Amino acid sequence: MHCNCGNTKLLIAAAGAVAASAFILLKFCRKKKLTFNDDSNVVYLVQLPRGKRVPSISPFPLKLETYLRVAKIPYENVFSSQFSTKGKTPWIHHRGTDLGDSQFCIEYLNKQFNVDINAHLTKEQRGVARAFLKMVEENLYWVLACARWVFGSPSRAGFPSSMNSLVLYFIQRKVKQYAYAQGMARHSAKEVFHIGKLDYQALSDFLGDKKFLFGDKPCETDCGVFGMLAQVVFNQPDSPHYEVIKKEFPNLERFCWSMREAYWPDWDQVLEKA
Amino acid sequence: MGLRGSKPTFDDSSNVVYFIQIPLRGLRVPNLSPFPLKLETYLRMAKIPHESIMISTLSSKGKTPWIRHRGKDVADSQFCIEYLNKQFGVNLNEHLTKEQQAVSRAILKMVEENLYWVLVCYRWFFMNPKDMGLSQNIPSLIFAFIRRRVRKYANGQGMGRHSQEEIFHIGKLDLQALSNYLGEKKFLFGDQPSETDCSAFGMLAQFVFSNIESPHCALIKKEFPNLERYCHTMRNTFWPDWDQVLKGDASSTKL
Repeated sequence: MHCNCGNTKLLIAAAGAVAASAFILLKFCRKKKLTFNDDSNVVYLVQLPRGKRVPSISPFPLKLETYLRVAKIPYENVFSSQFSTKGKTPWIHHRGTDLGDSQFCIEYLNKQFNVDINAHLTKEQRGVARAFLKMVEENLYWVLACARWVFGSPSRAGFPSSMNSLVLYFIQRKVKQYAYAQGMARHSAKEVFHIGKLDYQALSDFLGDKKFLFGDKPCETDCGVFGMLAQVVFNQPDSPHYEVIKKEFPNLERFCWSMREAYWPDWDQVLEKA
Repeated sequence: MGLRGSKPTFDDSSNVVYFIQIPLRGLRVPNLSPFPLKLETYLRMAKIPHESIMISTLSSKGKTPWIRHRGKDVADSQFCIEYLNKQFGVNLNEHLTKEQQAVSRAILKMVEENLYWVLVCYRWFFMNPKDMGLSQNIPSLIFAFIRRRVRKYANGQGMGRHSQEEIFHIGKLDLQALSNYLGEKKFLFGDQPSETDCSAFGMLAQFVFSNIESPHCALIKKEFPNLERYCHTMRNTFWPDWDQVLKGDASSTKL
């Protein structure tokens, strides 16, 4: 009788690998029920766990948390892989209301807490601020997403420990799909780098010698720009993007340090310990 | 309306730029896609000799428009502009200060990477197909197929995850920013137009001239009338043959 022992062992090994993968994935994605105190006025900021080099490895939680600090709105972090109703991070919970999308959160919080960190801008400056915010969040974001996830193998360096290789694999699959849909992934790596460089140039030329984008006081767009540039300046020290910033646009690195020192004096304390 | 069109033939010894755009001639705009309209406006503004070809052959990146010049195909409207600037020694941004060039880049990206998706979502998800203003009717089956594809792309990009009210609001903020920056100026940066005016016009023309039943058109008329004024200025300056083009005469050559 012919023994198919080789195939059987292979099947058992494959089944074991699938089971292990599912377990690891579920461990990351398990939706522990989040509880909030809806009587308090505290804003619960739900975001991914801390990174080892930046408070968040995603620019939008870092943007939103920076805004909360600039606007001096009391908040409490909830570190969770639970995404918003739009399937994204971060989101907030405030007095029984869940809200996704960092910019909608800011608009909501501006109303709730009667805050306007753009108050010092002229009408024309508000127009420019909006344009730069969108350039950074809808263009530069995709440049960096492609650089990290589409071209080459993504490194786990600096990521939260809970995000293991399997999680990264699934993230990479999704990002490739999304970046193609958005359009950036249709370009070559060289073209994408060029697009990013033009954005850095625009930011650098506009910032000039100013402390923040529009002078000595930061505005909403500074939070968005910081959230994005911090990913490069503090989290990807080996990337060609950081190299070009250091070499050709040093005022952008200076800007990142200004924002970090002003609004994140506890930067080192909040990071996940390596 | 298949997307695998026949490959046209070009005279690669001539210096003419072949400008290939998808045949989406509108009833009210030369092309329902903002990027061909942007690029053609640039060609006119820069006075670069060109021949427009309306054919469904997409670029190597699967998009429209693209150009062919002296045997070289270039895809993506902005890469086309960079290429043509070098080839023809053109710089429509020469009169801008360093800071204005920076703002120009930011506005370009806001319009093309944010406002564009507002336009796309509204056109394909929230408007009556008849209001698109296409010069030919799209069969319902093809419309449904394209809409599915657009939904997938819009969800990937992110805009498709918002509600209709939220998308309207996002569009309003972009239009407000454009209106605030334009103010009473003739063009975005003063009396002389620049590259970003081509893009802003390509996009705004869709709202102002084509999507006349859309809430954004009504919003522009009511709250941002300088954007409508701006579109007419760009049209009168660079498209004096607008009506002839819509009828299919003059600058459009089919192969």
